[in-house]
Amino acid sequence: MDSSSSSLSQQPEFDYLFKLLLIGDSGVGKSSLLLRFTADSFEDLSPTIGVDFKVKMVNIGGKKLKLAIWDTAGQERFRTLTSSYYRGAQGIVMVYDVTRRETFTNLSDIWAKEIDLYSTNQDCIKMLVGNKVDKESERAVTKKEGIEFAREYGCLFLECSAKTKVNVEQCFEELVLKILDTPSLLADASSGTKKNIFKQKQPEADGAASSCC
Amino acid sequence: MFDFCPQLERFDDFTIASSWERFISEIEAICRQWLADGPKILMQKGAESVPSFENLYMIKRELKRGKRVYSMEYHFMKSAKGKNTYWEDDTHTMQLSFGVDEFLMIAPLSASGVVLDDPESTKLLSSVAIALSNCGSNWPAFVPVHDPSRKAYIGIQNLGTVFTRRFEADRIGSQVPIRLMHLEGLHELFLSKFVLSSTDFPARVKVHFSMKLTYRTPEYDYDNETLDSEATESLVENEVVNHPKKQWDDDCPWAEWYSAEDPVKGFELTAIWGEKTFEETLEMAEVENASSFDADSWFLYPVVSQYMVDDSIGKFVGFASQLHLLVNAYESSAEAQFLEDFVADTSGQDNSKSTTTVPPPSVIDRVMKDLFKAGNSNFMESENKYSRAMRGAPADSLFGQFCLHALWFGNCNIRAIAVLWIDFVREIRWCWEESERLPRMRISSSIDLSSCLIHQKLQMLAICIERKKSLNREKSVGHKDETSNAAAANKTRKGSAGVVPKMMLLNTFQEMHAPYTQDAPLMTEDMHEERLHAAEAFGNAIGLSGQLERDILSSDMSAFKAANPDAVFEDFIRWHSPGDWVSEDNADGNSGWPPKGKLSQRMSEHGNVWRKIWNDAPPLPVSEQKSLLDPVREGEKVLHYLETLRPQQLLEQMVCTAFKSSADILNKTTYGAFKLMKTKMDQLYATMASTLKSLQGKSDISDLAGDLKRLCQVFEHIEKLLILAASIHRKLIDAPRLAQAIFADYFNYYLPKMGTTLESICYEKEFTTKQKVGMHERDAVSNLFPPPTANQSWRKVLSMGNLLNGHEPTQREIIFSVQERVSNGHYSSPTPLYADNEQIQTHRMYICGTSNDLWVALSVTSWD
Repeated sequence: MDSSSSSLSQQPEFDYLFKLLLIGDSGVGKSSLLLRFTADSFEDLSPTIGVDFKVKMVNIGGKKLKLAIWDTAGQERFRTLTSSYYRGAQGIVMVYDVTRRETFTNLSDIWAKEIDLYSTNQDCIKMLVGNKVDKESERAVTKKEGIEFAREYGCLFLECSAKTKVNVEQCFEELVLKILDTPSLLADASSGTKKNIFKQKQPEADGAASSCC
Repeated sequence: MFDFCPQLERFDDFTIASSWERFISEIEAICRQWLADGPKILMQKGAESVPSFENLYMIKRELKRGKRVYSMEYHFMKSAKGKNTYWEDDTHTMQLSFGVDEFLMIAPLSASGVVLDDPESTKLLSSVAIALSNCGSNWPAFVPVHDPSRKAYIGIQNLGTVFTRRFEADRIGSQVPIRLMHLEGLHELFLSKFVLSSTDFPARVKVHFSMKLTYRTPEYDYDNETLDSEATESLVENEVVNHPKKQWDDDCPWAEWYSAEDPVKGFELTAIWGEKTFEETLEMAEVENASSFDADSWFLYPVVSQYMVDDSIGKFVGFASQLHLLVNAYESSAEAQFLEDFVADTSGQDNSKSTTTVPPPSVIDRVMKDLFKAGNSNFMESENKYSRAMRGAPADSLFGQFCLHALWFGNCNIRAIAVLWIDFVREIRWCWEESERLPRMRISSSIDLSSCLIHQKLQMLAICIERKKSLNREKSVGHKDETSNAAAANKTRKGSAGVVPKMMLLNTFQEMHAPYTQDAPLMTEDMHEERLHAAEAFGNAIGLSGQLERDILSSDMSAFKAANPDAVFEDFIRWHSPGDWVSEDNADGNSGWPPKGKLSQRMSEHGNVWRKIWNDAPPLPVSEQKSLLDPVREGEKVLHYLETLRPQQLLEQMVCTAFKSSADILNKTTYGAFKLMKTKMDQLYATMASTLKSLQGKSDISDLAGDLKRLCQVFEHIEKLLILAASIHRKLIDAPRLAQAIFADYFNYYLPKMGTTLESICYEKEFTTKQKVGMHERDAVSNLFPPPTANQSWRKVLSMGNLLNGHEPTQREIIFSVQERVSNGHYSSPTPLYADNEQIQTHRMYICGTSNDLWVALSVTSWD
């Protein structure tokens, strides 16, 4: 894929590009979180097929950032497919549903192992997110348990609700700030952009026209 | 014995002779200064450490007398020496020979450094003696005499008011009398120094004796060994001579690529007999017959080859040197657009230039045969936390082997690499066309995205070849089946992989069958990026970016329908995405039929994509579906990539893979539990990972080449140390503690070399550290001295005794001394040295020698 021909000598429209990944059991609300964050809306979405992908430009910590967020399907069948998306991710968000205990236990049984196996960034930031706190009455995982797991596994932790918007912004912001604090990840994000297709790309319309295959 | 006293008397006449007087007072002034300063201040004033001694320092001044220039050196110790420590390594020859601690040495500054003329040396010594006694110092002073090769000295030491010690040393360089080869004779020599006539030897003189023997292991003579053993078996076969020489490192992991010089040239064993007292000469003979195992302590010292510290280019040939060449090739890789350009470009350059020579076709043939020969390698990939960051190929994979061969192909210049690569790709193309399995590729159903792109492509190609082969097979066999299948009822179950336990279809109460499903399509790294690109281009429009995933889901649904002809969408969801089936059953699970439940809200909403796909999916088992991966198309794409690869991209990946594979091969070396080595090896991986990381996608070659060359330097240090570790380990395999300690000593000696720049530093300091051998380790160490073969032993005339497995010492050092009781009335003045316990050492003799070289130093204390 050589799109350099289409690239005009233009200032990059962002300082860093971060690749983030959402993982966790099927139905915990990964896609809803992403939709809330990128489009600030909430609707009942069809289950993700394989992987989905969204881009959001943000200003955090005085930097212009382009976030490429990959939303993966939780179904076992898609796991081999999604495993390749761990590569190069600077941040990985592990999502569980506070009302379904097995989605929490599966994080340590399955998802944490997947990260160890497929992540290529040693220093990549991990974040634990408990979703659906709006259903407080049905809660099956306590906040304390979440904190315990996060401490043990060395990751950030937050409880949120994609439905009520609680903590969604904060969750991504926290993660990004932590990445900005980690020099080795920044090196990747900036040196990578040199050859990264994002940087060579022109604003939407132009890119679509020049894209090949 | 020289006669000293008359000279002293003559000095009285010299008091008016100004030249001598001034000379003496000059010496005196300097000595007073040095005395007043003391060791601490002298060290601050710039006294130099004496090379290879830790504790010994020296300060130097030049003196003139007439036309002659003399240098006067004062040797002193940082901290005082204990008694009886003369056998320690940190002892200067003068200290050892004469039993002194600090000393003054005065010698003319001439080429030979020796006072040739006897009267002059005596005069010189007298001047020093006067100067020293004037300032009340009791430093011993020495003057070299005669020819330097004799290493002869005379010396004097003023011990308080009463005693004077005199020193004398000389050497017999050849034709040592037989008497003096043996301990008995040497003992008699010592006695003769204080017993006036040999006839009236006092029956019992208590002589203190201690001895140090140095043994040197024989040269490792592998060639001879094989000859010897085979010669005994069959004398007829003269072909034995043509046998390839057996190398010490034949079974080391690197031996497949090169043979390293053994860094351990041998060992020196020092056996020390601590102080004993003898009264009779005959007892000495017994000592001579004693086994070296009777010695009080053993010390082992490895004789390490000079090449370890020689940094000059071309001195060390190993992976590091070849990697350096590869980095050079990488530097020039940007000069052309295509690899073919390097090959074609022969006319302009003259062929003699070594940078463009390509080995002859026969060599290329051999390499290709080796690369493509069938047979699996059993290399276990050493999983390392850095190996992912390095983005290479496994050492035993096709590309890994290609890189390793390239390192040793000619001198690894860019032209040679281009020639090899073009042939390599041609060979791969042949495999593809002929549907031959790619050698050295582990067949797996996934592509390792942490390896380099070429390796990913080859993995893809290997899988495509497999698929292509099975497609061809199906085509040739499958036709008849298809017709009969078409005739069969639509409701027959097809493509079932087995029953799903405890799952029944909702509508028909049949067992649910799991279908065979297609493997998810494989993608190499660049394909992922392509998809990312596409996803970005089409924005977030659902359905366009997710096309591939929809294909997979649709394929799964078709297969499920074929395996369960009566299934409904809900059944599929219960199998595929159990989270979206909200069960309303009782907790025990099998309560009545049909199971109560419903789809989750998101699955049941109107316009759900999953249901749409389900409705469109035809019931087809995997065998009848269109493959998600088109092997022919993808295979051709891989070959296109390989055939049009830019030189720089190839070299980038080769550099990564070659570094990683070389390190992996070295890392397989067994070197016991040498922790330092292990740490260094880990550090090498870490350094490699961080340097090679920046190789990906960075375009500034010259910047990187500098880093890479420094990395080669680090690699060389570690490679050398590793070879040393392996050599020490295998030689001392039965004494692991000792091996480890010896390696640690050398490691610490070598350490300052590392972390330096490209410039090689001159290494003056020699490695001298010896390790004490524990009692239980002596057997293992004595095995280093194999009993000489009949062939070897007749060559030597043994004459010294104290044999170790038939080897006589290369050097024998002995100290004899006698002490005399100090009677109270006689010696009232307090003597600062050697007078503890009221004993005074009157005679001391140090003898160092072999059977044809003898050096004797004598010190005699007397009262005037």
